[in-house]
Amino acid sequence: MLLEIKELDAGYGYLQILRKVSLNVDKGEYVCIVGPNGAGKSTTMKTIAGLISPMAGSITFNGEEITGLPAYQITQKGIAFVSEEMNLFVNMSVQENLLMGAYIIRDKNVQKERLEFVFDLFPRLAERKTQLAGTMSGGERKMLAIGRGMMSDPTLMLVDEPSFGLAPQLTASVFESLEVLRKTGVTIMLVEQNVTTTLSITDRGYVLENGKVGLEGKSSDLLNDAYVKKVFLGV
Amino acid sequence: MSDNLKDKIAWMKSAKGITILGSIFLALFATINSGPYVLVNTIITGGMLALVSTGLTLMLGVLNIAMFAHGEFFMIGSLSAYYVFTPISNYTAMHPDSFLVTWGPMVAIFTSMVVGAIAGIIAEFLVFRPLRKRAAENWVMNSFLLTVGLSVLLVNLHQLIFGADFKGIVRYWGGMPFSFADVFISRDRVISFCLSAFIVFLFWAFMTYTRTGRAIRAVSQDATGAQIVGINIETIVLMTISLSCALAGVAGGSLLFMYPSYPTMGLEPLYMAWFVVILSGLGNILGAVAGAFMVALLKVVTVEYVGAGWDFVVPSILIMLILIFKPSGIFGSEVRGVLDT
Repeated sequence: MLLEIKELDAGYGYLQILRKVSLNVDKGEYVCIVGPNGAGKSTTMKTIAGLISPMAGSITFNGEEITGLPAYQITQKGIAFVSEEMNLFVNMSVQENLLMGAYIIRDKNVQKERLEFVFDLFPRLAERKTQLAGTMSGGERKMLAIGRGMMSDPTLMLVDEPSFGLAPQLTASVFESLEVLRKTGVTIMLVEQNVTTTLSITDRGYVLENGKVGLEGKSSDLLNDAYVKKVFLGV
Repeated sequence: MSDNLKDKIAWMKSAKGITILGSIFLALFATINSGPYVLVNTIITGGMLALVSTGLTLMLGVLNIAMFAHGEFFMIGSLSAYYVFTPISNYTAMHPDSFLVTWGPMVAIFTSMVVGAIAGIIAEFLVFRPLRKRAAENWVMNSFLLTVGLSVLLVNLHQLIFGADFKGIVRYWGGMPFSFADVFISRDRVISFCLSAFIVFLFWAFMTYTRTGRAIRAVSQDATGAQIVGINIETIVLMTISLSCALAGVAGGSLLFMYPSYPTMGLEPLYMAWFVVILSGLGNILGAVAGAFMVALLKVVTVEYVGAGWDFVVPSILIMLILIFKPSGIFGSEVRGVLDT
C-alpha cells in the first residue's frame, strides 16, 4: 500500500473538520475523493501534504510514518501537491516556476530531463516558457501547476479541484492531462466536486461527507449507487 | 519597428518612464546649472542608500515585516566597526608600514557585516520566530509593533552600555582625495561607494542565480507554493533576516567616517530607506536600487536649490503624493502576488 491514512482528525485552529477519516491508495491507482462543499476534501489533501498538522491519527507513505512532518519534508518523500489555488510564483516565468518545482532535485541534468518531460507532456507550456505565470489564463495556470508538481518526479500526486473556476472545455483538457500523467505510472489522488466526470475516469472513490468517509468503492459502482445518485446527481 | 516605437512611447507615458526620464532630466539640469558635483554627490549618496533599502525591501517582500528597527542594525554595524577600527588605527599610527593601513578598514567593515548578520539571527530567534509560532493572524501589525519595540530596546541598550556620546573616526583611508570632473571626493567616500555597489551587485546576483536566492524569491511570491515544492520556510526566513540585517550592518560600518555611532543614529537611514521602498514598490531589488538613486538626487537637489534644512521635507512630500496616487510604488509589479491581497 502506497498511502495509508488511519482515523485522521484534522482542522484549522479549534475548528475540527475531519473526523476519523481512513483511506488508502495503492501504487498506480487513480483514486478520487468526492463530496459536497465543506466536507473536508481539501483539508484531507492539505493534511497529507503537510500544510496542516493533524490532531490525531496516522498517515503512512511507502511504509514510512509521515504524520505531522512539515510540507517540505513530505515533498522530499515523493508526494507532490497541486493545490486548488495553485500557489504559482506569479512573478516568475513558466520555466522558472517549473524549475522551482524541481527544487528538491539538486542534479542539474536531472532537472533538465524533468523539464523536457513536462514540456513533452504539455507542449503549451513549452511555447510559453518565458511568459510570467501571473499573466497566464486559468487553464494554462492549472497546467503549469500540474507540470510543476510533476517536476519533482513524485510517486504520488495529490490534485485538488483541478476544474475549479475553469470553463468546461478547459476542464476536459485538464482531465486529459491527468490521464496522460497516469499513463506514465504516477499514482494520482484527485479531489473534485464534479462527481459524474470524476467517477467516470477514476478507478476507485471515496465519498466524504461532514468530515467522515460516507461511502467507498469502485468508481463505477459508486456512479450507480442509489445514494450517490440521489444526493450528488439529483436523479 | 513601429511596434517597437509604440512600446517605447507607452513606456515613457507609464509612471516608471515618467519618473526615470524626469530624474535624468533633473540630474542633467542640476549638473549643467550648478556643476558636476551634484551628480557625484547623488551617485555617492545613492550607493549608500541602495545598501540600506535593499535590506529593507527584502524584509518587507519576503517576510511581510514592516521593519522599523532597520536603522538600529545600521547602528549596530557602525558601532562594531568603531570598536574594531579604533584599536587598528591606534596600531597603524605606530606602525605606518603595516598592511593594516590598507586592509584594516576592510576588516572593520567586514566585521560590521558579520555582526549585523548575527544580530539579525538573534532577533529572529528571540522576536520573530516566537511570534510566528504563537499566531499567524494579524502578522503585519504585530510584527511591525515588535520591530518598533526592538528599535527602542536597541537604542536604549546602546545608551546603557556604550553611552550616549558620538563614537566616530576621522577617516578610514588616508591619502589624497580623488578628483572626478573637477570635484574632489575623499578616498573614503569613493571606496565606500565602490564597496556598496559591489555588495548590491553580489546580492542581486545571489537572488537571481543561486538556488537559495530563487527560493527566497519563491517564498516572497507564494509561501505555500514554496512549501509545496519542498522549500524549508524556516531556513529561508532565517537567511533572509540575517542577510537583510547584514546589509544594514555593512552600510553602517562603511559609513562610519561620515556618521559617527550614537544611539539614535539609525533614524535617518531608516527614514531614507522607507522613502526608497515606498517610492520603488515592495520587494523589488532593482527597483530599490533605482529608487535609492532617485531619492539621493532629490536630496542633493533640494539641498542645492532649496536649502540644507529641507532635504527631509521635499522627499516626504513626494512620498505622500506617491501614497495617494500610486500606492503600489513606481516600480511596483503589475502582477499581484498573494501577499498583496
